[in-house]
Amino acid sequence: MTLQIRINGDKCMGSGNCVFWAPGAFDLNDDGLSVVLEPAQADESQLFQAREGCPTGAISLWRDGVEVDPR
Amino acid sequence: MSVALDVKVDEAIDDSFDPFELQDTVTGDIRDPYPRMAELRRQGAVHVGHIDFTGSDPGVAPVDTGQPPPVSVFGHDEVVIALRDDKTYSSTVYEGIMGAVMGKTILQMDAPHHKLQRALVSPAFRSRVLERWEGGLVRSVVDDLIDGFAHRGHADLVRELTFGFPVRVIARILGLPMEDYPKFQQWTMELISVAANWERGMAASETLGAYLTAIIDQRRCRPADDLISDLVVTEVDGEKLGDEDILAFLRLLLPAGVETTYRATGNLLFGLLQHRDQLDAVRHDRSLFAPAFEESLRWEPPVTLILRRTLKDTELGGVAIPANTDVGLFLGGANRDERRYTNPEVFDVFREAQQHVGFGFGVHMCLGMHLARMESRVAVNALFDRFEDIHLDMSRGDDPHIHGMAFRSPTSLPVTFPVP
Repeated sequence: MTLQIRINGDKCMGSGNCVFWAPGAFDLNDDGLSVVLEPAQADESQLFQAREGCPTGAISLWRDGVEVDPR
Repeated sequence: MSVALDVKVDEAIDDSFDPFELQDTVTGDIRDPYPRMAELRRQGAVHVGHIDFTGSDPGVAPVDTGQPPPVSVFGHDEVVIALRDDKTYSSTVYEGIMGAVMGKTILQMDAPHHKLQRALVSPAFRSRVLERWEGGLVRSVVDDLIDGFAHRGHADLVRELTFGFPVRVIARILGLPMEDYPKFQQWTMELISVAANWERGMAASETLGAYLTAIIDQRRCRPADDLISDLVVTEVDGEKLGDEDILAFLRLLLPAGVETTYRATGNLLFGLLQHRDQLDAVRHDRSLFAPAFEESLRWEPPVTLILRRTLKDTELGGVAIPANTDVGLFLGGANRDERRYTNPEVFDVFREAQQHVGFGFGVHMCLGMHLARMESRVAVNALFDRFEDIHLDMSRGDDPHIHGMAFRSPTSLPVTFPVP
């Protein structure tokens, strides 16, 4: 089961760091906020780096409806 | 095109002015604060009370300001917690010195003003927007500087490359007339060095203010393809930036956009030049540049310390911190936390990629990080493209080493290379 990516729009500040860590999985929309690309092209380690590298902790990763290793 | 001004920008540049000397007096020659940070971190990630790094503490009792004793944080997770919790750890601590020199900038703002103002300036710093500057501007600035020493077979890359290129990039992005660049560079360095020379720094801040105000007025009438034009028209939720906001932001760009990039690029080059295998690996596989730059920012962040002030009583790493405490968050300490990084003292571009706090973290995380990454990549690529081989030459220069406390970068980078 692949990882699902969720972005908390209230927390996202549009730093673009997720795009740096996992360019195949994230982009910034016209408002400068992060969006998930479908289908996301990134390996799991990149997704974990993007989550950890998010300055405001706006990214969470989920598998089968359960958050993976929540912080 | 020149700018009509009330201030005399045509005054001759002071020939005796050496921006590098001015710059280097600011942080003192602390060679390696990291062993002390590691020792303190092993005692505890969070410390209460004054800490001396110089080894020359006069032992004078601190002035009683009525404030609780300062707190210093050396652990990665603890620094991240504080930087992400901007409701507890306020940036208004920067209102004093920084506010006096630059005006009210986003650096010293808390929510909700910070979020709004940052949203107004951030579009210009998105990585996709920056692509337009990469080939024409940044690469040609770097190539011009390299042209100045390529024939010689040796150079000091600090004085002749890293120190000079970010200020020219910023000047062009702002849209300043090229003939004003030398004056702009001098004012910039004087403003940045305000801690070393207060009067000179404040005078430069004022002169820059008058100069930039004239350009802002001009761009309101006739927008051009530059950042100042973007700033005068930009709007978020019907809000626009006033002249004072724009001016403060432009002043902030000088230390934030010039000094940090010059220092960070120097630290990366120092790391690579000291480790031939890693330099050769990056030279032959340029996709390694990104991890190499991130590793240099982890190993030697150009800014090692961020300040915050607590707005309420809190607790961090098991230590109680009362409201109104000044908290020093040591980015350099966090980046070398052995609980997170294996062999943290070692510069290793091959280490598993891991987030670091070299660009800070939380809502104030470096706005210019994508610009810094691009500028540094272009500079290193240009050196690789133009010289088949490049060596650190320790016989030249005077014991080159990375130094500084709050800001760190190499004293010099003496290199030799075959003349192309």
